[in-house]
Amino acid sequence: MELFMESLRSLYANKLRTFLSMLGIIIGVTAMIAVVSIGQGATASITERISSLGSNVFMISPGYSGGSSGRAYVNLSDVLTKKDVENIKMLCPNIKGVSPLIQQRFSLKYGTNNTSSQIYAIYPDFFQILNLDLESGRKINQEDIDDYAKVGVIGKDIANDLFGTENPLGKTVYMTVSVGNTNKTIPIQIVGALVQTGSKLIYNPDKMLIIPFTTAEGRIVNTRGSVSTILASAISPEVSERVYLEIDQVLYMRLHDSTKYSITSQDSILGAVSEVTGIMNLFLGSIAAISLLVGGIGIMNIMLVSVSERTREIGIKKALGATRKRILMEFLIESVMITFIAGLLGILLGTALSKMVEIAASAYALKTQVTWDSVIIAFGTASLIGLFFGIYPASKASKLSPLEALRYE
Amino acid sequence: MGKSAVLSLRKIWKIYEMGDVRVNALRDFSLDILEGDYMVVMGPSGSGKSTFLQITGCLDKPTQGEVLIDGVNTSNMTDNQLAAIRNKKLGFVFQSFNLLSKMTAQENSALPLIYSGVSRKKRMNRAKELLEQVGLGDRIRHRPNELSGGQQQRVAIARALANDPPVVLADEPTGNLDSKSSEEILNILKTLHESGKTIIVVTHDPDMIHQGNTVVHILDGQIEKIERKS
Repeated sequence: MELFMESLRSLYANKLRTFLSMLGIIIGVTAMIAVVSIGQGATASITERISSLGSNVFMISPGYSGGSSGRAYVNLSDVLTKKDVENIKMLCPNIKGVSPLIQQRFSLKYGTNNTSSQIYAIYPDFFQILNLDLESGRKINQEDIDDYAKVGVIGKDIANDLFGTENPLGKTVYMTVSVGNTNKTIPIQIVGALVQTGSKLIYNPDKMLIIPFTTAEGRIVNTRGSVSTILASAISPEVSERVYLEIDQVLYMRLHDSTKYSITSQDSILGAVSEVTGIMNLFLGSIAAISLLVGGIGIMNIMLVSVSERTREIGIKKALGATRKRILMEFLIESVMITFIAGLLGILLGTALSKMVEIAASAYALKTQVTWDSVIIAFGTASLIGLFFGIYPASKASKLSPLEALRYE
Repeated sequence: MGKSAVLSLRKIWKIYEMGDVRVNALRDFSLDILEGDYMVVMGPSGSGKSTFLQITGCLDKPTQGEVLIDGVNTSNMTDNQLAAIRNKKLGFVFQSFNLLSKMTAQENSALPLIYSGVSRKKRMNRAKELLEQVGLGDRIRHRPNELSGGQQQRVAIARALANDPPVVLADEPTGNLDSKSSEEILNILKTLHESGKTIIVVTHDPDMIHQGNTVVHILDGQIEKIERKS
């Protein structure tokens, strides 16, 4: 305790020097806390966005052929058909919903308002797969599919573009479709409006106009019987691995070639993303760690200066009966104290910095997280650095002979 | 009544090697310092009197020979044991005071007590007492740079007495002081001697000869003559 007070006093007596030697550690700890918290926040926000799709959703898309041995790379866009949708629905017991999907951009018109929108041509299961809720009206139902009905459910952003504050229900929008060289206009009656959701991984329901699959297939898009994507959902996240295998089996039975299709689950995307963000965090963290190391070397430098500056003081103390251990402790505690205080300041500054980043990046809804382990790691590393880089100067001080030290001018 | 020797130096050699030159600072030097003695050690510069004090004070080890303190041989002692001896049995007063500039007079005087493990409260009380004894009771919160040379040396004496050591060693205690301050310091040393402490003063100030009851003249690392007054 006595020693602590004494080293505090000695640090206080050299305020500027103490502060300068702290600076390296302060910056290091600040950087470490801020970088890790921002990194974790970013990871969390990316993960959340991916998870918003629902943890049990599968996307089945056509594979490709060629691209090697001199053959051209070809997207097998017509490999999946409605038949596969039926098969998956019938043969996979753990599937909750399945829907084909054709996605294409068209221009839409209501009165004098124009906009362009992604048209999503689907089966009714689509709503349940993407977890979409209605603000008003109704969803696309099986009857619409059977009747090739020219009806649609509209996303919030598109509704705002076309109707402004008007209620879109019952209104008719006109879709411009080019067939050969001529343009044809198809009326779509709005029967439902989606609540605003924000983007869900690669889909953004706010910018969708959802119509029955059959309507699009027959009159709007020339699909030649194929579908561009099949979406499916498992009955629960627990069985998603089994569902993956089920779908794979069904498709393989028909296509006999696993390269002709690919099945993507949210889990596989999450895995890849977390691998990337993990590497990113590690990389940034190690840069921060390097600055901590540099800070430590700075402390050693300052402590060595301090030892030679206080040689006489050491001599006096030794002549008065201070033991080698006592002198060692005095210097060691001083350097640990520097890093200790600097560590505390760094944690405060780092937390403040990450909050500032959070405010500055509020547009991205980035929630930074200062976690206990990052605080403990940064603080512990800083203190250890103080100890490690303090040992050499302290032992140098303790080994001075009292006489030599007293003679020193 | 035969007084025992507090300190004995037996056949001490101290050889400094400076590059190729070997300097014999002490040559076969033997001396007993008796309990309650007031010894004044005189000699010109380079005679070895400072080396004598450093070796007597356990600040330095002889090249050869033994130093006995209270009859105990210090030759094989560890650094820690020597530190304890310096702390408990010896009090140092230096020519240049050697006070710590960042501490007050009181803290300076209490310094040796830290190393003997006395609690802060007791240390401060003891230091205050000692400063009052040397006539600085009103200056305990002053720092060395706020004190005159004589006052600083008095703080140093208070510090030397902190652990109530039997022996006080002084290296040119008046060397940096004017005559009035010198006189004050000499009076304090005299009082200490009268209270039973063993005093060893190294000086080349001829006025001090009259102070001690034993005067040792050193020349070229050897004792030239010893005068005992009583």
